Amino acid sequence: MFESVEDVELRLREQGYICGKNIATVVYLATQLGKPVLVEGPAGVGKTELAKVVAAATGRNLIRLQCYEGLDEAKALYEWEYSKQLLYTQILKEKFAETMAGATTLRDAAARVAQEDSVFFSDRFIVARPLLRAIQAEELTLLLIDEVDKSDPEFEAFLLEVLSDFQVTVPEVGTLAARNIPFVFLTSNDAREMSDALKRRCLHLYIDFPDEKAEVEILDSKVPGIDQRLAQELVGVMQRLRKLDLKKTPSIAETLDWARALLVLNASELDEALVGETLNVILKYEGDIRKAEGELGRLITRKTEEKAETAKTPPPPPAKKSVLH
Amino acid sequence: MQKKIIEFTNLLRKSGVRVSMAESIDAFQALDELPLGDRELFQGALRATMVKRSEDIPTFDQLFELYWSAFYDNLRDAFDQAGESMSGEGFDLETLLGQILEGIGSLEGDLDLSELAKALLTQDLSQLEQMIRDAAGQAGVQRIENMLQLGFFTRRTMEQLNSEGAGRELRDLAQQLRESGMPDAQVDALLELIEKFLEALRKGVRSYTERELQQQNFDYMEKFRRESLLEKSFYNLTEDEIKRMREVVNRLAQRIKNVLSIRKRRQKRGKLDLHTMLRRNMAHGGVPFEMVFKERRKDRPKLVILCDVSSSVANVSRFMLQFVYSLQECFTKIRSFVFVAELGEVTQVFRDEDINAAIEKALDGGDVINVYTRSNFGQAFHYFWRNYLSAVDHRTTFLILGDARNNYNDPRAWCLREIRTKAKNVVWLNPESPSAWGFGDSVMDKYLPQIDAAEECRNLKQLSRIIDKLVL
Repeated sequence: MFESVEDVELRLREQGYICGKNIATVVYLATQLGKPVLVEGPAGVGKTELAKVVAAATGRNLIRLQCYEGLDEAKALYEWEYSKQLLYTQILKEKFAETMAGATTLRDAAARVAQEDSVFFSDRFIVARPLLRAIQAEELTLLLIDEVDKSDPEFEAFLLEVLSDFQVTVPEVGTLAARNIPFVFLTSNDAREMSDALKRRCLHLYIDFPDEKAEVEILDSKVPGIDQRLAQELVGVMQRLRKLDLKKTPSIAETLDWARALLVLNASELDEALVGETLNVILKYEGDIRKAEGELGRLITRKTEEKAETAKTPPPPPAKKSVLH
Repeated sequence: MQKKIIEFTNLLRKSGVRVSMAESIDAFQALDELPLGDRELFQGALRATMVKRSEDIPTFDQLFELYWSAFYDNLRDAFDQAGESMSGEGFDLETLLGQILEGIGSLEGDLDLSELAKALLTQDLSQLEQMIRDAAGQAGVQRIENMLQLGFFTRRTMEQLNSEGAGRELRDLAQQLRESGMPDAQVDALLELIEKFLEALRKGVRSYTERELQQQNFDYMEKFRRESLLEKSFYNLTEDEIKRMREVVNRLAQRIKNVLSIRKRRQKRGKLDLHTMLRRNMAHGGVPFEMVFKERRKDRPKLVILCDVSSSVANVSRFMLQFVYSLQECFTKIRSFVFVAELGEVTQVFRDEDINAAIEKALDGGDVINVYTRSNFGQAFHYFWRNYLSAVDHRTTFLILGDARNNYNDPRAWCLREIRTKAKNVVWLNPESPSAWGFGDSVMDKYLPQIDAAEECRNLKQLSRIIDKLVL
């Protein structure tokens, strides 16, 4: 458990996750109040990563449920292992015969079989899916429900039921209640608006693209060995790229990819040719790349001007308001 | 504190942020867990518990700024100013106040100062803040609607505070101090200070009413903007507004897709497929380990869209193209055409270009048609029928966006009839109201018998209603 908001910030940092006070506050509150967190934001800003590092920082087991269109209870909660049941009946055929031995009438035989019902509908034949695993886990867990916006509205309603009291009823076995209430993180890319009922039960966290300073810091911690000045330049280009009207705005993941790529290329400085050649690392659409190529001169020239300036005076501290929620 | 949070919650609700009862309770619980006094944490906690839609975050932040800081800061500024102006005249505020309090202590008899007077003398700002809030509540400041009422509500709040009474008491006090032998200079300074404080109080109250006005109007302006976008006719949209609508349009397109996918999935699992199951389980000695269900044919909707881009509907088509573009991102089986008199396909343009470029290109005819002619629906339909009829099959929804103003050309409604016999259904969205259909050069009446549904679609609200109707 965390002791304070600062503690959260610190311990996530130890795990290599740089976050602002906003994120830390929500994480702290979630652990204190035992409420699920709904994390929203553009793709690639570290929503899933946040859940992973919280799990690591608190020493909890991460159980992940990836949502997709058509995900249903059987895939998320539990399923009867039909083939195993069949296999057992095949193997135990003789045993059955023994049980049936004394039965004289059909009714009697059926009653005897019915008595053995619980053998086949027991824990042994249940395939626990992520939700049930989180509920049954002996140790402390963190349940990550990833891209919940991809699931269908019906599944969301079902999820609601599970999240509200952390118990599920398996008709043949009974009600299973959670041994330890897991931390729950839900992530969403905003493909679909989640229902109010679900939102009401969660704390809400919106993670946006980090500002320049935070991004350099992230780069430093994730790509060790990167030249400080190169990191600055690179982040500068990324920040300007994000202001363009692109089909897919490059995120932190792309920044890191790009930095690693440049490291491999042994680049120490960005120039137009190099950026042009490596644009396909950060931009994923043909149209976007073409657009960025058109703006390339502007992205770089502005930077060289800045460089000329910085040669004279130390760079002004970024006075921008933090956009890191 | 509790009261302030509840008030703030109400404010959020008025501004269109949905905050439920449970959520405000969460907020209280969250605040219990956090150390008091850290503004950022406080804001973070309220945001996490009360705001659940990312679109609402800017609203929340602005209101938070308005509600939690502006007023108190203004009050402090006003009092700081009063103090400074005194020290400008050669008095040290601290010592002066010290002497006065000393003087009060030495006074005989019991002093009966009102709460307000005491708070003023001791400059107890948080106490003052609370008193102003209460008084303003009683004076009904929350009902303020426009600038003209500022003076009125400021006065009423001041009356409610009984500031005049407090002023009188303080002046009496100064008189008593003079009688008890305080030097004249000090008493005069005190009298001046009292006036300054009262003025500062008035300023504080005024800033409170101003803030209240801003808050009350905040949601009003926002709502007005949003509503007007929804209701505004496509004909009158500016280019900028159309761009702002992009998000809304995207969501509409996404909704169509969602609804369709639900329907699709419901149909997915069919009956037990005995044949295939037996065949597939041969390996297990005929014991059915694997169940096989008949898969129902997935009903993937296909769309063919014809969009009129003639100058008479330029703005409408700009918007409609945006809608088409979003649709194209959601569906794979979709073909888009633009026409004026000639007709050309723009599916590829929409797929390759980004939205703005694509729309400009399409409005310009997409390199395939000449847009500087008079619109001729008949010719366009005929051309489609001749060249693209193969694009239409029994799963295709044929969508026409246009005003059916045909410039007295031959409507050739039979083309549409032919298309309809092949298509699943033919839908026409017309930006003109039904009462204008068939008048002047409109040939809508000729086309009406040949289509399954014709809807007036002049603004976003209508469009979303139509979408609900179409897909459900």
